Amino acid sequence: MTSDPRPPGRGSASSTHRAEVPLTKEPDPAERDVSTSDLTAGEREGGHRTRRKWSARRIAAALVAAVILVAAVATLVDVIAVRAGRPAAAWRRHLADELATRPVDDVWMLTGAAVAAAVGVWLIVLALTPGQRRWLSLRSPGGCPRVRAFVDRDGAAVLLRDAAMWVPGVGAAHVMVGRHRIKARAEVRFRDPRQVKDDLTSVLAEERDRLALARPPRIAVRTRRPTR
Amino acid sequence: MTPRSALNRTLLALAGLVFLGGGLLILFAGLDLYRRHDLAPPAGWPLTHPADVLLGSADRARWSSQGWWWWPAVIAALALTALLALWWLLAQLHRRRPGSLPVGDTPSQEGVDLRDRALSEAIGNEAGALPGVGDASVLITGRPGRHRTLIKLTLTPEGTPGATLGALCEGPLSTARRATGIDMPAEVRLQVSRHGPHRVK
Repeated sequence: MTSDPRPPGRGSASSTHRAEVPLTKEPDPAERDVSTSDLTAGEREGGHRTRRKWSARRIAAALVAAVILVAAVATLVDVIAVRAGRPAAAWRRHLADELATRPVDDVWMLTGAAVAAAVGVWLIVLALTPGQRRWLSLRSPGGCPRVRAFVDRDGAAVLLRDAAMWVPGVGAAHVMVGRHRIKARAEVRFRDPRQVKDDLTSVLAEERDRLALARPPRIAVRTRRPTR
Repeated sequence: MTPRSALNRTLLALAGLVFLGGGLLILFAGLDLYRRHDLAPPAGWPLTHPADVLLGSADRARWSSQGWWWWPAVIAALALTALLALWWLLAQLHRRRPGSLPVGDTPSQEGVDLRDRALSEAIGNEAGALPGVGDASVLITGRPGRHRTLIKLTLTPEGTPGATLGALCEGPLSTARRATGIDMPAEVRLQVSRHGPHRVK
């Protein structure tokens, strides 16, 4: 990751950028209207929702390919050696003996079979599910129809956490961005907790709309007073 | 889905079915589930009884007594399997690079070429200068004529994905489109640089 050695007092860019975020103590009744109208404006501009990102499953494929390759080459080498008149390798005789003497209700056979079945289920799950759960799809801008855009869930959480910290009365905030729900926990240092919670909810909704997510998750806010 | 993803997923599902089928076959016989649940396995089913073994002496005798063609066929099948597995493995490791891109409608032989690295550097420099973007890296992949652009952006805390995407679309991407005459598909991945919580002063 890149270092971002900017000083905390980051000047005019940030203050103009955050101008809409309410720094006022009173929740502004127009806030929700602003955020929803922003959203509809974004939708009206055109653009499209990026579909979910599908993993290429390279690592799983490479692992399975490597296992098949090793097994096939080892067997091939030994079969050719035996055809050439040499005795079979120890591992092959050992394996054949075990497979020929252990009945299928032997505990090792049952364990191996259970592991094989579990691996099979896992591979099928890998094959059928999209994966890439870390990336959330975004709404692409209207001018670029061939752009697919994604944001990192942890990154979105950092942006939302920053927005939450701007709400007066919030002492500490922790935001987790799930695929369907954004969970925010905040510690209220001063002001009425209920009011802080309302402010938090509207600020987070506004910041979420600014993220331009293709499927905006719901927001769940929990506030508590630090016990001392 | 890219062709490689489709291929990987098909083969993974196939391997998974083989593993699952083999495991269930042994589990059913080993736990004697056929008899307990009054299931009748079809005729010629390989394992039916808990006392069965995977590699019976009848099997071994049958394999050893095949004709002259048996072992050459086994060797050929194993060699083919190994080659296909090697090809599948190598397909995961390399990333296609188009090399150079034709500019405009001229065919590549007589026209002007643009190195993929030059184009990705140009996009990256312009994208890195956008407000709210801390770092940009651009990679052009795919085979010639069907290339795709992969843009990774790290946002600073002031950046927002929606605004950055709009700026990216109107800035670097439209420049690239005008320069090459191709509207190439692009994938944008946004991350945010980590930083400690800061408070309003």
